[in-house]
Amino acid sequence: MSTRENSYTEAEALNLLAQLERILDLDPLIDEVGFIHPSQFATLKEEIGDSLSSEDRDHESTSFWIRDHKLGISTQILIPVYKAAKHAFISALRQYKTPGNFSGKSQDDTLAIEVMIHSKALLLLSCDFATAWNSRKLIVSNKRLLPILMDELHLSALVLSYSPKSEQAWSHRRWVINMISRNCSTLQWIIERESELVEKIAERSKMNYRAWNHRCWLVSFMTREQVLDELKKSRNWSGLHVADNSCFHYRRRLMLRNLEGFCYTQDNNSSGYFVETYQIWKEELDWNESLIKRYIGREALWLHRRFLSMYLIKHMATHLLAVSCQSKPKASVDIDIDSLMDHELCLVHSCSTTIADANFEEAQAIHSAAYMLWLTKQIPEYQGIDIQEKLRAGVGDMTRMLKRSCPDRSSLWDYLVGYHSEP
Amino acid sequence: MGELAADKHVKYIISVEKKKDSFESVVMEHLRLNGAYWGLTTLDILGKLDAVDEEDVISWILKCQDESGGFAGNIGHDPHVLYTLSAVQVLALFDKLDILDADKVSNYVAGLQNGDGSFSGDIWGEVDTRFSYIAICCLSILQRLDKINVDKAVEYIVSCKNLDGGFGCTPGGESHSGQIFCCVGALAIAGALHHVDKDLLGWWLCERQVKSGGLNGRPEKLPDVCYSWWVLSSLIMIDRVHWINKDKLVKFILDCQDMENGGISDRPDDAVDVFHTYFGVAGLSLLEYPGLKPIDPAYALPVDVVNRIFFSKK
Repeated sequence: MSTRENSYTEAEALNLLAQLERILDLDPLIDEVGFIHPSQFATLKEEIGDSLSSEDRDHESTSFWIRDHKLGISTQILIPVYKAAKHAFISALRQYKTPGNFSGKSQDDTLAIEVMIHSKALLLLSCDFATAWNSRKLIVSNKRLLPILMDELHLSALVLSYSPKSEQAWSHRRWVINMISRNCSTLQWIIERESELVEKIAERSKMNYRAWNHRCWLVSFMTREQVLDELKKSRNWSGLHVADNSCFHYRRRLMLRNLEGFCYTQDNNSSGYFVETYQIWKEELDWNESLIKRYIGREALWLHRRFLSMYLIKHMATHLLAVSCQSKPKASVDIDIDSLMDHELCLVHSCSTTIADANFEEAQAIHSAAYMLWLTKQIPEYQGIDIQEKLRAGVGDMTRMLKRSCPDRSSLWDYLVGYHSEP
Repeated sequence: MGELAADKHVKYIISVEKKKDSFESVVMEHLRLNGAYWGLTTLDILGKLDAVDEEDVISWILKCQDESGGFAGNIGHDPHVLYTLSAVQVLALFDKLDILDADKVSNYVAGLQNGDGSFSGDIWGEVDTRFSYIAICCLSILQRLDKINVDKAVEYIVSCKNLDGGFGCTPGGESHSGQIFCCVGALAIAGALHHVDKDLLGWWLCERQVKSGGLNGRPEKLPDVCYSWWVLSSLIMIDRVHWINKDKLVKFILDCQDMENGGISDRPDDAVDVFHTYFGVAGLSLLEYPGLKPIDPAYALPVDVVNRIFFSKK
């Protein structure tokens, strides 16, 4: 393959670049791009019954494939087109940036258009070519028009369609949204669309840190209604992707954001607010428990439970105490830590007793015991209830089991035994 | 279990520079300076830095410097702190920091600190705790930490701490071993490790070790050699490295070697690259594998290089 790649002349490469740029210009609605091996072209053509018009035929054959706003680029031409695009982009950018190289505003605009055209082609071949993204920021920030900014979101989504982990493409979105947020009434609508985009990409690209990080970043722009709505909407997806720690972290982010709101609005009807928030927490715990019982041995589910229980005991119960003292009538929730801990012990017990050969059940036993030890290490005591004391009877069994099933961390387990046996 | 194929890895790293015919390598040219850091640090840990032409490397690096003082990933690209740190680290390897205008470089880095103490990666404003680490590490090597507000920088990093003890890119971001290394490393250099809950974070980090002995970067992910660096260095900095099984990790890294052509991959039997070769060798160095120079877990440079920076008479 490499011999053919090297055999393109400069003129051929420039011609291919011109073809690509023409395709992009003719169809601004292209929403997906991918690289196709030459052998796949034939298959694709057969599938559609080779119904290409003669005009399409000019720039198709074996280099590009376009249909229903989906663009395929042959892997055969990637290197020559990339080199041509890079060269064209660099020289256009150099001219655009050179002071005094143009005679007036119209010349400036022409050069800006050149940079935009070549940088777009380049980014469809090399997603993290930061200098190309930067040049677009430079030009767009001189215009500051909403439709132009929306075009940038579209290009970034197009790049993410072939490279869902592209750091630069995600970062470009945040820059654009920051620009929009300064003076735009449609921001809430855009934030909603962004959140949907992440979910769509997360479906194809599992455990994508960059995608979910972007979704977490969006939370600070959301209204309380949006936060609660997101919590509701993302639940179904999370229930179907129980191994994806990121989607549960997103829920944690939303829940904490909702609580931040609580802290700021203590004066106005805070007990009602708190009842609602507590309800959300309780539902999440119940839902998490049902998932733990349905999907055996999933680390992400147990980590989510660590967060839910610890936060409830350490922070919310204290908050509640403060609220219920002030509010009239008294808040209608009462967090009974004693029975909560009994419930958790029961759950852990039911998960550790079924040690079988199956790997998943062993994992379930390890995660549940580690969960309990973790919780008691974080919250040794609450409101006079000695949580460690409650556990003392079981701690020996748990650590023995962990040392047997999980000997690589035996120093940690030994450390905890020492910790728990301290007076 | 095989031994470390040190000579093969040296040959592999030198050969990477020469073959650039695949599309994958062509589209990496914008981060070539990072590649130079990975490759050259590996050579130095293996005691073979003299296998490359120092003059060539240094003159090329200087051509990557922008008039702002920052460095780009390659000639003609835009500057970014990611490449600025790599440039400084590579010059430190060659004991050539004195050819830099240290004030100019550090003014570029210091100029990227924001009001809340965070750092942008370049003039376009993306904020990430990785950039906080880079700024603090870079300025410390250049002995210009006084140019930034270190207290504010620490405050921002602490605001990115999660309830699991780990750190994310920005406040509220998910814990990730790579980000944790950056935050712990920055706090270590700034003398502010007391902000880390060592038991809590140590627990999360040691749970990254999976059955094969390898480490993953986040819960439920596959193990990857690069985390031998991110997780391991963090565990060392917070003094909890005894919570993992080091022998099994050594074996996992050695199993990821290409015994024929050199280089280390992310997992056994995958294709090798210079990034994973560096993290594999650096991880083995942290694990005190024989024949390797010790590496500093915070500065990510050989210990003798770090000592030369801070203790040599000027």
